[in-house]
Amino acid sequence: MIRKPVDLGDPDRLYMVTGGRSETDSSLDLVTLIVSECEPTTGMQSEHVRILELCRHPTAVVEIAAELRLPITVVRILLDDLCALGKVSARHPRAAASVAGLPETALLQEVLHGLRNL
Amino acid sequence: MPMPARSRQRRSAERAASASPFAPTATLILTAAGAAAAVALAPAEGRRWVLGTVVVAWVCIAVVVGRASALLRRANRRAAAQGGELETARSAWQHQVAETSRLVDVILPDVTRQVRGGGDAKQVLSAVALPSDPHLQQLLRMVAGELSASVERAREAEAGLEGVRERLERGTAELRRLTEETLPAAVALLREGGSADTVFARFDWPQDALLRSAAERLIRELAYSERRSAAAQATSAKALSRVQAKTVSMLADLREMQERHGEEVFGDLLRLDHSTSQLGLMTDRLALLMDGRSSRVWNKPIVMESILRGAVGRIDAYRRVRLHSSSRAAISGFAAEGVMHLLAELMDNAANFSPPVDEVHVYVEERSAGLVVTIEDSGLKMSDAAMRRAVESVSGRVTDLASLQGTRVGLSVVGRLAVKYGISVSYRPSSRGGTGVVVLIPPQLIAQRHEPVTAERPRQAASAPRTPADRPRAVRSAPAAPLSTAATTPTSTAATTPTSTAATTPTSTSSESAGRGGATPNGLPIRSPGRAMAEAERIRHKPAAQKPADPGESGPARDAGTRFGAFHLGRRRAGGAPPDEDARSTAPEA
Repeated sequence: MIRKPVDLGDPDRLYMVTGGRSETDSSLDLVTLIVSECEPTTGMQSEHVRILELCRHPTAVVEIAAELRLPITVVRILLDDLCALGKVSARHPRAAASVAGLPETALLQEVLHGLRNL
Repeated sequence: MPMPARSRQRRSAERAASASPFAPTATLILTAAGAAAAVALAPAEGRRWVLGTVVVAWVCIAVVVGRASALLRRANRRAAAQGGELETARSAWQHQVAETSRLVDVILPDVTRQVRGGGDAKQVLSAVALPSDPHLQQLLRMVAGELSASVERAREAEAGLEGVRERLERGTAELRRLTEETLPAAVALLREGGSADTVFARFDWPQDALLRSAAERLIRELAYSERRSAAAQATSAKALSRVQAKTVSMLADLREMQERHGEEVFGDLLRLDHSTSQLGLMTDRLALLMDGRSSRVWNKPIVMESILRGAVGRIDAYRRVRLHSSSRAAISGFAAEGVMHLLAELMDNAANFSPPVDEVHVYVEERSAGLVVTIEDSGLKMSDAAMRRAVESVSGRVTDLASLQGTRVGLSVVGRLAVKYGISVSYRPSSRGGTGVVVLIPPQLIAQRHEPVTAERPRQAASAPRTPADRPRAVRSAPAAPLSTAATTPTSTAATTPTSTAATTPTSTSSESAGRGGATPNGLPIRSPGRAMAEAERIRHKPAAQKPADPGESGPARDAGTRFGAFHLGRRRAGGAPPDEDARSTAPEA
């Protein structure tokens, strides 16, 4: 079925997701790992809930953005809010490397190769 | 009274006539006797002289008496003749009087009656015994003629009057029918879009030329103005639909730019986005008033959070609106835009009519009667009249464009939307001091929540490497089930799901649908639209992804390939990532 592209969007506008903010002075890097510190509660913004669920295991900011399908800026603003409330904590990727249990180099090389061929 | 005088005159004349024959003779005898006595008594010496004197005197007396009696007799005769004449005249006069009275008392009424009864004047006169006096006859003829003429005239006038009255009655009846039946029906037909000629052909129009031309003119004018307003409405609706389409595509473009561009223009893009959303609300408002359509139609259920945010995002003072919603309900796609628009109008109203520093609070409650959305401001209390006007507006009873006042059209739009979707909107004083609006969204607008596809798609999206072509579908399904995403384990879903019974359905179906599609509580299989496609996609991607079919493991402990795919995609979507950074971040691994 072919649908008009106008029907595929979402009623949420990004300024509603961020509450009108467009800038953040957070130090969160694209590859900073985020870990949730608590379970989502009812009444939370749905993006916060999804971040908390996603970050039960350490997840990079850029990965969260991809999962949530939101621009990086928006995700950083959301993460700022959560950090301020103490619901998530940020970790440097190097420190988290062992925890995350990264795959073997060979596999990554293979993936990288595949990606470059895309 | 002349009568007694006449009789007295007559009696004295008779007495004079009866006395006159004897009086002269007696006088002569008496004087002769007197003279003889005088002669006898006279002395002898004077006897002769006395005799002479007496004779002369007696002769004189005799002459005088004779003359007097002759005069008397003549006078008597004349008096007798005059008396006869008088009698004749009196009888003639009495006759005349009798005739006159007969004329007045008998003939005239008779003639009048007959002439009035319709007889011809001459015939009537010939049948009547005419008075002998020619003057009276002439008088009678004249009266009869005049009477007959006037009777004729009266009859003519009466006939004319009857005709006039009949015409008047006919005209009145036609006017009444025109006013009470024909015109309302004709106006209704014109309103429905009938042309003037159709209206003329369909109804029975008055015979009266004046009335007919007046009605015709009225109908033509009305048809013209109806046509004009319909054309204006259609033209505006069409023009507005173009603006709407443009607005929607602008919003899509803006969203795409927000993805693509970095932080430096993000704020500006958001501002533009907000302005465009407001523009969209204004355009939709006008389009609805012009009987046009909403700018967007959602083909999926929209969760309440998105509905509220979509509504708030369209108003100017969106930062002042506080949303308090933990509802997981979703509004069916067909009604989602309408509900959003309605809420946006009410929030706009609440924000506009409260002080710029005060917040507007929006609460959502789930009730068995439906979803209750309460919008409370802390502005000034509405006056009773304003409240009545607002209630009247949102009731949607008056949909005539003529009832609009200036720029305050928001509540009319709310009324139309409320009627269209069966939403009830009521006003009450707010506990915060301002006004509260309670919106009851009926259950038939609330989407059923067991949607296997929405539970499946995010999982599939997470397990398969994403491609840009795959994106929109996953975005569409994501808000419908925010909790049952790929990252969710069954336990966490159960923990975060509210205790409402309906919400337990997605938990069970999401785990079931992972394998073989959903089922109703009764065990009947559910096939939702797009399911076959999703199945095909899933099967297609199965060889590529290592553990796609197990929801328990595919969530948190995803394999490294999936994670890296998401990572790479995220970097690409971040847009600002230059190739060298990409190389740097991947270099250690390589």
